[in-house]
Amino acid sequence: MTLQPLSARRYAVTVLAWLALWLVVAAAALVLGARVWVWESGPQLNDALRDALYGVATASVVGGALALAGLAFQALLRNPLASPYILGVSGGASLGVILSSLFVSVLVQPIFGFLGALVTVGTVYAIAQRRGRLEPYTLLLSGVILNAFYAAVIMLTMGLVRPETRGDIAYWMMGNIGRFDLQWGLVGVVAVLAVGAAVVFAFLAKGFNLIAVGEETAGTLGVRVERVRHVTFVVASLVTGAAVALTGPIGFVGLIVPHLLRMVVGPDHRRLVPASFFFGATFLVLANLATGLLEGAVAPFPPPPVGVLTAMCGGPFFVYLLRTRWRRTAEVQ
Amino acid sequence: MKADRHIGMLAAGLALLGLALGCSEPEPASPAGGGGERPLRILSLTPNVTEILFAMGLGDQVVGRSTWCNEPSEARALPVVGDTLHMNLNQVIALKPTLAFLITGREEVARGLEARGVRTVTLRSDTLPQMFDSIRVIGRETGREDAARALVARIESDLAAVRRRVAGLARPRVLFAFPMTVGSARIMVAGRGTFVDALLEVAGAENAYPDRANWPTVSPQKVIAAAPDVILVHAVGDEGAPDRVEAIRRAWTGWTSIPAVAGGRVHILTEPYLTIPGPRVGLAAERLAETIHPELQERSP
Repeated sequence: MTLQPLSARRYAVTVLAWLALWLVVAAAALVLGARVWVWESGPQLNDALRDALYGVATASVVGGALALAGLAFQALLRNPLASPYILGVSGGASLGVILSSLFVSVLVQPIFGFLGALVTVGTVYAIAQRRGRLEPYTLLLSGVILNAFYAAVIMLTMGLVRPETRGDIAYWMMGNIGRFDLQWGLVGVVAVLAVGAAVVFAFLAKGFNLIAVGEETAGTLGVRVERVRHVTFVVASLVTGAAVALTGPIGFVGLIVPHLLRMVVGPDHRRLVPASFFFGATFLVLANLATGLLEGAVAPFPPPPVGVLTAMCGGPFFVYLLRTRWRRTAEVQ
Repeated sequence: MKADRHIGMLAAGLALLGLALGCSEPEPASPAGGGGERPLRILSLTPNVTEILFAMGLGDQVVGRSTWCNEPSEARALPVVGDTLHMNLNQVIALKPTLAFLITGREEVARGLEARGVRTVTLRSDTLPQMFDSIRVIGRETGREDAARALVARIESDLAAVRRRVAGLARPRVLFAFPMTVGSARIMVAGRGTFVDALLEVAGAENAYPDRANWPTVSPQKVIAAAPDVILVHAVGDEGAPDRVEAIRRAWTGWTSIPAVAGGRVHILTEPYLTIPGPRVGLAAERLAETIHPELQERSP
């Protein structure tokens, strides 16, 4: 893999272009989501805009966070199928959030989401590591196994709680963006973490590029592979856990977005990091807008939660990856 | 050991066969012959039915209840058999019920009870007329039609009394909602035709969400568009805890374009009986009326 040198200008163009795309989509989602044309009074329009703005803000920070986490996992594990959802990280975060929601207040749920995510990454990592190397098959399989285990524990929890809470948990597990009781504070926390992750990964991007060539090569070229790994795992777990605490697990954003971007901007992580951040945000804003527009279309049924929509798009895409890109990668190794 | 197991399986098989044979000869339905030779042993699987049975003076013939049947307080002493989702069938059989009441929607539970020789009656209480019908059916099934008639008359007079109190008062548009669920953008509200919709009418109000029937879940924008004058949030169980009530109140205060929010008329009600279609709907209507029309409380002695 040969990478062209990246000029400051080219970098700035990448960042600004993806930022501009997000801004345009977010503005459109705000106008369409609030249905600005239906309201009779100013205060009503304000309330509708506030509702839509919350949706756009939440979708943006969660989409950006999940896409960054997916990109980082894929880069570091050198595996195109790695994503927070598939590695079980979202599942671990979900379990942490669900268990904490039964006993403690909403505000500390991100901490438990983060703990669940971190424990998962640690476990997957420990299982898949052999003699200092990560085995891709073992890695994905351990993610699958952990997901199954978490699903079982979540089901056990649901079996033990009251029916009303059971329904809440089931609905939460589908991944929802909108809220009636707006949690601006939590949105702020996830926003700060996602921007922080984007900055950290921007600094690590050169290391990601070299690790993609080979860990030994990266090591001889001065990359402290172990340290990059640890920082990346902790940061990716942190943003995944916080994002899950805010919206519940939303699948496949972390898988689809980095792959789509590799097709568009190429393999250079220095450009992929900002692109993933902004396009992840854009993607989830669009998905959330789609569920909002389905509200009237499928009446009297409520629109599908956004996580259901992304998973339904993500499933076929996953199959496509299995049949094409992953096969090639597996043959190389 | 092996032989033991085989004998055990044979016995189980015979038991099943017996059960199957029992099924093929269903107990003759006795719609009017309730108070016959066999003493009634009633299993109530729905809170409103439990209340109705006790109000009709049939409390001493109820032998079991569901997890959710907590009222009246005498009912709490009864054995619990679970609910229609998770029923302890061994416990049901041990109680030897002869008559079971449940709500519709769980056909397999009704079939399972019938198969064990328990006459099972499914009732609907989604609307006020359905609730009155349920009381009459319970009267017929238990041979206490007089008590049923008396209970219906009592409830109707309770409701009429509330109607008289609110007569002539302005009728605000009221949204009756449940608290937002965890992580959900949508809240459940009382739609057209529900018995709560009918109670709002009795209590001198108009339902602010008549667009859909039953209990629709709606987005914040629908609530903004409905623009109710008064919002009643029914927080029961865990939702009624002080910190939850505070969280619910906070969640509503943000939507300032809603007249109820702007006018400080969001009321969080924690009485469970408000949504139980039973003997206390008159009390529920009165509670609603006094919340919707605060001037009533000043007027009353």
